Amino acid sequence: MQRILLAILVYLMTSQIVAINCYSVEPDEFLQNPKKELRARNISKNVRCLVCQNQSIDESSAPLAKDLRILIRKKIKQGNSDEEIYDFLTERYGDFILLNPPFKISTLFLWILPFVFLAVGIFVIFLHNNKSKKLDYNK
Amino acid sequence: MKKNILITPIILFFLILLVFFYLLIIDRNPSELPSVLINKKVPAFEAKLLLENKIFVSPGEFGNETTLVNFFATWCKPCLDEHLYLKKLSNEKGLKIIGVNYKDDSKRAIKWLKKLGNPYSNVLLDPNARLGIDWGVYGLPETFIVNSNGVIKYRLVGPITKKNYGAFVLKVKEVEK
Repeated sequence: MQRILLAILVYLMTSQIVAINCYSVEPDEFLQNPKKELRARNISKNVRCLVCQNQSIDESSAPLAKDLRILIRKKIKQGNSDEEIYDFLTERYGDFILLNPPFKISTLFLWILPFVFLAVGIFVIFLHNNKSKKLDYNK
Repeated sequence: MKKNILITPIILFFLILLVFFYLLIIDRNPSELPSVLINKKVPAFEAKLLLENKIFVSPGEFGNETTLVNFFATWCKPCLDEHLYLKKLSNEKGLKIIGVNYKDDSKRAIKWLKKLGNPYSNVLLDPNARLGIDWGVYGLPETFIVNSNGVIKYRLVGPITKKNYGAFVLKVKEVEK
């Protein structure tokens, strides 16, 4: 009985590991040159699947994701640079297709606000500390 | 002064809540994306035709009149619902409808058009979604309005329905102003 339980446990644990490493890239999509394939994978991880909008096309099994993966590999084979491929995609689908938004005037707030909040937070804590110190002395 | 500081986060919290609530109740589809092709020339491409043994060359065949570019497929149920309204639109004067048969089986598409009627002046073939990607298509059906200068003016994601037909016709007329 214990052995069966152990077996089930091991199965559950390992199947989890497999699931974590599971991508939707199908074997027939792979490029033969491993360096180029790696480039394709890296680009795919940065490209949003527009059908299921919080997945990258590397993870998504939507047909459009597959089409884009194949297209990216075709472009790599044709000798396009990563930059050219990203440009090609944003010209058609906008910056939204990039999971990493570019630093532009329209995205300035997006990038800078966290630092502003951090500064405000530090300032507030600093102010608070000072105040409580003063209170302590008054006692 | 101290009271003010205490009350600010609470006010801020409710303001943010109000914004979220507003976004929740207005009629919008959060997964709908604006097209980056708006106010740009139609992309250049070549495509085979479904019903004729000819090649369609863009942008050469655009211009002169308002043109709708409708991406459809026989496997797409909303496309079937939309078909009725496309036929209605095909009766409008000075309006041409180009269909793009997206990732579909040509035989089925021909049958489909024979059965339901053909509102398209040309039906282009897009077996591997290359045209779809050039137009930034991410779900079927999608309809683009191209004005008589060959400039894309509007994109509708999803079908033309009874509900949005009137507004869509207005959009079609607007692009020539």
